[in-house]
Amino acid sequence: MIKDISVMIAGKAGDGVLFTGNVLAKILKRQGWEIVTYRDFPSNIRGENTNYTIRASLKKIHGRADKIDVLMAFDCDAIFQHIQSVADGGIVLCEGSEVALIKPKDRSAKTFHAFPMRTLAKEKFGNEIFKNMILLGGLCYILDLDLSIISNVITETFLKRKGKEVVRRNIEAIHLGCEKAKKIVEKRERHLLKRKKDVNKLLISGNETIGLGALVAGCRFFAAYPICPATEIWQWLIHNFPDNKGLVVQTEDELAAINMVVGASYAGVRAMTSTSGPGASLMMEGFGLAGMTEVPLVVVDVQRVGPSTGLPTKSEQADLMQWIHGSHGDFPRIVLSPGTLQECLEFTIKAFNLAEKYQCPVILLTEQDYGQNYRTVDKFNLDKIEIDRGKLLTKKDLLGIKDYKRFQFTQDGISPRAIPSMKNGIHMVEGNEHDEWGYRDETSQNRTKMMEKRMKKLDSSRKDLLLPRIWGNKAAEIGIIGCGSTYGSIKEAMDQLKDKGIEAKFLQIRILWPFLDKDVKEFILTCKKVFVVDNNYSGQLAQLIQSRMSIQTELIGILNYSGHTFRPIDVSEPIQKAL
Amino acid sequence: MMKEKDFHLCDPTWCSGCGIYAIFSAMKKTASAMELKPEEMVVVTGIGCHGRLNNYLKAYGFHTLHGRALPVAQGVKLANKRLKVIAVSGDGDAYSIGLGHFIHAVRRNVNITYIVVNNMIFGLTQGQTSPTNRKGFVSISTPLGSKESPLCGPHLALVSGGTFIARGFSGAPKQLNRLIEKGIRHSGFSLIEVFSPCVTHNLMNTYDWFRKNTFDVDQEEGYDPMNREKAWLLLNNKQKLAMGLLFQEEGPSFDDLVLTVKTPLVQGEMFINQNKVDKILNKFE
Repeated sequence: MIKDISVMIAGKAGDGVLFTGNVLAKILKRQGWEIVTYRDFPSNIRGENTNYTIRASLKKIHGRADKIDVLMAFDCDAIFQHIQSVADGGIVLCEGSEVALIKPKDRSAKTFHAFPMRTLAKEKFGNEIFKNMILLGGLCYILDLDLSIISNVITETFLKRKGKEVVRRNIEAIHLGCEKAKKIVEKRERHLLKRKKDVNKLLISGNETIGLGALVAGCRFFAAYPICPATEIWQWLIHNFPDNKGLVVQTEDELAAINMVVGASYAGVRAMTSTSGPGASLMMEGFGLAGMTEVPLVVVDVQRVGPSTGLPTKSEQADLMQWIHGSHGDFPRIVLSPGTLQECLEFTIKAFNLAEKYQCPVILLTEQDYGQNYRTVDKFNLDKIEIDRGKLLTKKDLLGIKDYKRFQFTQDGISPRAIPSMKNGIHMVEGNEHDEWGYRDETSQNRTKMMEKRMKKLDSSRKDLLLPRIWGNKAAEIGIIGCGSTYGSIKEAMDQLKDKGIEAKFLQIRILWPFLDKDVKEFILTCKKVFVVDNNYSGQLAQLIQSRMSIQTELIGILNYSGHTFRPIDVSEPIQKAL
Repeated sequence: MMKEKDFHLCDPTWCSGCGIYAIFSAMKKTASAMELKPEEMVVVTGIGCHGRLNNYLKAYGFHTLHGRALPVAQGVKLANKRLKVIAVSGDGDAYSIGLGHFIHAVRRNVNITYIVVNNMIFGLTQGQTSPTNRKGFVSISTPLGSKESPLCGPHLALVSGGTFIARGFSGAPKQLNRLIEKGIRHSGFSLIEVFSPCVTHNLMNTYDWFRKNTFDVDQEEGYDPMNREKAWLLLNNKQKLAMGLLFQEEGPSFDDLVLTVKTPLVQGEMFINQNKVDKILNKFE
């Protein structure tokens, strides 16, 4: 019985690869399976090769698998490119004529089903585009997918946007593919997937989750500049803000976006911006402004491959150092790194609370993989959202204050915050060094005190921070450290290692700054060998750890800067080799 | 009854004779004449000599980064539309490093007032050539004379869909008060560029120079500021620079269009009720 299956849909941009994949993901989800999708597409609208993998499993999964089990190929290129990723025993659904061109070595141990999808599409619908639904119909027969679910999914997707006729034709195409498959595929070549009840699960992307998190956290102002792969946060908010009296502004660039958010937040509304790659670089200036003026700020960086324009639609973790050390000058900041969808939600809500409590910028650092790909998650429980506005004053509080100091020296460095319109709260907010009232003061005595005031704000923050989590057997001597989206591949790699008799434990770092030295050091000291998994070239996470402690243990880097995320095997193999 | 001194926090320390004193004074006068309250006024500045202005003025103040006064000011206004938001920049701030924001703020038409203190020099950095200098202008950054054409903010505002475009002069304070008041009352983005001589670093564009090289449309009988073509022609005259209310167009501001609920964002409900949340989550099932 199949417990875990990965279906890759591959073709050209414009073939409907993404759409077909999303439909398939939803069908499998409704059949009670856990889903992780994996988009691999170019920064291009039409014409270039693209593929989308839907992985479904009966157990909890977080990332892509080592191999593909089914390849749905819309053209020759798709087969040539991906045939080597197909597992032994795998299935290839394709037009058919290209099979003869594949090397026998690559052909072995795989089943090819020649499917005249183009001809069928043209004959029946007068349009080749229907080949995607025809092929999906074929897959439905092979995997015994529930046709009634499929009709529902197609209706939900198309009815509002494209009308009844489009729904009817797409469903017809799926049925046609299914009927055709009955003639092509032998009964023993079918793999009937288990149907379970779909209870209380969501199929959602990280970007949508972050949008949702912002909404329920009380964020009502969002400004951004379009950039891949962060735009879905904006798209989600633009549909959901109007009903909830929030505002989305499209700015002229990222400089405007971050500064507008600083302005809105200073005026008292919870505000956020999102970006990636070059946009993150442009935001460095405003990031520092928020740090200096102690304005709460939430920025989401959905990391893509850099430097420069890099690979705009692919995943990497190479902005760690930028946010931890970035912008000129020293100022406190908090950098969060969620590893699951549940954490994307929780950390977004937390980001707003931390930003207001510590009056500093908070960065939610995710990656394209978590941002754009879909995963199943237990339905979020949003009953009890805690909104903590920190030392935000009310008009009433201010009535009793005669000489209000916005940047008052306090024990914890955090000063009571008044916002414009509050009588008795009038103050100045300065990007220049300033005194307790906010007015420019360049004396070294003031500078020293102010710097210490700002920098000590996070000294007492430990109670509010997200401690790292340890997964696996705590007694294991092999330690793996990772953050963000490497979570899934590391956890599966641990299973693979276990199958080979190797016990490992995993320290999931969930907050990159302030860095929790003590917890990380303690973990390292309990290991004989430590591997640090970094989705970047220079091992930024490993560097960060090394910069924070003096340890004898060598940190062995497991690096990947290919534009792809780690597969479990990419983590487990280097560990095996190093032992 | 508000008085000028209600907006005066402390005495400024700009160079004696600097044009910005007139602007500082006009802002206080206008605010008191309009019965504004200091706590409802937010003055946002950029970097340059003008940037000190809100350190001297009694109101909420935000001294931002170089060139970024406008994005911050728009954010403040959109978060709380009941505030009177006035952004102030120099010519470097508005037309050099912040030019992108300037044009987009004009076309976005958020209901704020923008005062551009145009002294035709980079004063705070000791006297480099500004984008508003004419060709041939000699300064420490262009010792052989500027080889670039001057940029005209009001002209750019006009072609970018500006709805209130005015130009004042520090040497004509009464008109300046009037223009600033009109600008604040205007629904939408109001630009008031002010010729404001720098007595320390710009010995070319002096009070006298401005008097000789400008003409005032407010004094011209029959000038109709609602006429875009006329304003265009006026601004085409690069020898005699036009002053006064050059163009105004009534219409809804960005805020009117996007903030359709009465309550400002900052006073909105932060919690979402369970029904709504369920409806949202259902879409992902």
